[in-house]
Amino acid sequence: MTKSPLLSAVFAVAPALVPAFAQAEGELNLYNWGDYINPAVLEKFTAETGIKVTLDTYGSNEEMLAKIQAGATGYDIVFPSVHMHDIMYQLGLLAETNIGAHPEFKNIDPQFIRAETDPEAKYCLPYAWGNVGIVYNKAEAGELKGWADFFALAESGKKVVVLDDLRETIGIGHIMNGTSVNSTDEAEVAAAAQYVVDNIEAVSAFSYDSIPLVTSGDVAAAHWYVGANIFVAENPDILGYVIPEEGATMYQEDICVLKSAPNYDNAVKFMEFYLKPEIAALNVEQQMNGTPNIPAQALIPSEIASNPTIYPAQDMLDKLQIFVDLGRDLQLYNSEWTRIKTAQ
Amino acid sequence: MKLSDRKTWNLRALLAAPTAFLLIFFFGPLLIMVVYSFLTPGIYGGVDWTFSHLNYGRILGWADTKYEKFDPVFLWIFLRSLRLAALTVLTCVLVSYPAAFWISRMPKARRNMAIFLVTLPFFVSLIVRLFAWVLILRPTGFLNQGLMGLGLTSEPLEFLYTDFAVIVGMTYVFIPFMFLPLYASIEKLDSSQIEASMDLGATRFQTFRKVVLPATLPGIIGGSVITFIPSLGNFIVPSVLGGAKVVMIGNLIEQQFLSARNWPFGSALAMLVMAAVLCLLLAQLKLARTTEERA
Repeated sequence: MTKSPLLSAVFAVAPALVPAFAQAEGELNLYNWGDYINPAVLEKFTAETGIKVTLDTYGSNEEMLAKIQAGATGYDIVFPSVHMHDIMYQLGLLAETNIGAHPEFKNIDPQFIRAETDPEAKYCLPYAWGNVGIVYNKAEAGELKGWADFFALAESGKKVVVLDDLRETIGIGHIMNGTSVNSTDEAEVAAAAQYVVDNIEAVSAFSYDSIPLVTSGDVAAAHWYVGANIFVAENPDILGYVIPEEGATMYQEDICVLKSAPNYDNAVKFMEFYLKPEIAALNVEQQMNGTPNIPAQALIPSEIASNPTIYPAQDMLDKLQIFVDLGRDLQLYNSEWTRIKTAQ
Repeated sequence: MKLSDRKTWNLRALLAAPTAFLLIFFFGPLLIMVVYSFLTPGIYGGVDWTFSHLNYGRILGWADTKYEKFDPVFLWIFLRSLRLAALTVLTCVLVSYPAAFWISRMPKARRNMAIFLVTLPFFVSLIVRLFAWVLILRPTGFLNQGLMGLGLTSEPLEFLYTDFAVIVGMTYVFIPFMFLPLYASIEKLDSSQIEASMDLGATRFQTFRKVVLPATLPGIIGGSVITFIPSLGNFIVPSVLGGAKVVMIGNLIEQQFLSARNWPFGSALAMLVMAAVLCLLLAQLKLARTTEERA
C-alpha cells in the first residue's frame, strides 16, 4: 500500500517479459504492492510446498488494473484494495476459489469480508488492513494530534508533505468538513478540495517518498500509512505516528486469484497457507499492520498488538472511513485535484 | 532488368522492414490516441465507443457538463510547461556551448574521454540520479549547507519543490542531448576562417557573431529541438524535484491514464503536446531551409 509509483515504474518493464516461461509446475507468480509482504512468508511457503515464488510489484491499484486489462498474463495472485476487488470482479478478471468454504476460514473476522460483490468470500481472502495518518518529526512538530495541528505548522513556517493521491488528500478535506470520503455531491467535493487549497501554504509537496524528509527534519510532518511505524520503531526519539483525532481513512487489501492464472492450484494453496494464524502473524511482525486473522492477533509481538496506532480502540476504529469505488463520479475528484495542484 | 532498376528494387526491399516497423509501431499507437481522444471514458479505465468532442472542449472552452467542464487551468499548465521547457533549453545551451568548445580543442585522447564522461550519467537509473538531487537541494542538503557555511545565507533557502529545482533537474538530464549535436557542429568549425576573420580586423565578439555562431547554428537548433521535445512532456522530474506541485502537462496526462481513469481526456491532452511539437518541427524545417539558401 505504500510504495512510490515512480520506483515501481522502473521495474514495471520486467514483469511483462517474465511470464512467458512461468508455466512449469511448481511455480507461483505474485503481483503485489511494493514492500507489502514479509519475504519470510514466501520463503516459508516455498520450504513447505516446494513451489517457487516470484514477486513483482506495483504502486497503485490503477497501475495493476491497467496492466492486467492490457493483457499481462502469467500472474496468479494480485492484492487489490477492496474497491478494486469489486471492480475486478465486475470486469470478470477474478477466479472463483471458494476460500470462504475452507474449514480454516473461521479464523477470519467476518467484518473484514468487505467487498460488496463477494459477500461469501467465494473469490478473495481478506489480507491486511491499516489506517492512513500522520508521521511527524518530534523536534519539529511537537506532539501532534490531528489534521488541525498538521496544517497549523505553516504558522510557524514549517512545511508538510501530503500524499500524491487524489482520494486520500481530498479525503482530509472531507474529514475536516464532516462529509463522507466517498461523497459524490459536487458541492461537498468542491468544499473538501477547498479545505486543502486553503491550507496549501503548509504543503511543500505531494509525494509518497516523504519519510526521509521527515526523519531529517526537512519537513515537519507527512501524510502517510500506518507502515510508518516501521520507521518509528527504528528512530523512536525522532519520529512519531498518529491517527488524526478528527478521523482518518483506512485501507484493506484482499488476496485474489486471477482468472488468467497459469498456476491456479498453487495460488489456492497459497491462500490456504495464508489462512494459518502463524503465517498471518509472521507477516504482521515485519509489516506492522492489521490482520483480519483473529487467532493470529494473539501470536503477534505485544508491542505491535498494544500499539493503538496499529490496533486502535473501537472509538477510533469507528472514525476510520474506507474508500468505495465512485465509478464515473471519480471525475469530480479529478477536476478538483488539478485545481489543488495548481493552487499557489 | 537494368542495373539502376535493380538498385531501386534492392533499396525498396531494404526499406520495407523499417517502413513497416514505423507504420505499425509509430503510426499505430498514434492513431489509437487520436481515436481515443474523441471517445467517452470507460468507468474503469479504457474507453466507451461513443463519440465525444468534450475532451477538447474541456481544454479549449466549450465543455460544460457535470463531468466535463472547461477550465483554463489546462491551458495554463500547458503554457507553464512550454516556459519550463524553453528555460531548460536555454540553460542547456549556456552550459553545453562553452563545454563543447573547450572539449573540441582538447588533444584527441582526452577529447574522447571527455565525451564519454558527458554521456556517463546514462549508465545510472534516472530515478536514482534524481533522488540524489533531492539530497542536494533539500533544506538540510549539501547546497544549503554550503551556502550557509560560506556565510552567503543565514537560513536554508527553498530550492526543492520549486520551478528552479525542476529546471535544474531537466537541464541535468538533457545536457547530453544538447551537447552532442553542438559538439558535432563545433568540431567541424574551420579554424582558418576564424584566423582570417581576426586577421581582417574583426574583434573577438564580431568573429563570434559573424563567423562562429552562423557556422554552429544548425547544431544549436538541432540540440534545442531534441532537448525541448522531451522536456515538454517530462513528468518524472516535476514529480520528484517539483514535489508534484510544479505540475507539467506530462504529469496531467499521467494522472488521466492512471489515478483518474480518464484515457480519452489524457489522449486529448497528448494531442495538444503533439500539435506543439509538430509546429516546432515545421518551424525548424523552415529555418533550416532558409539558412541553407543563405549559405
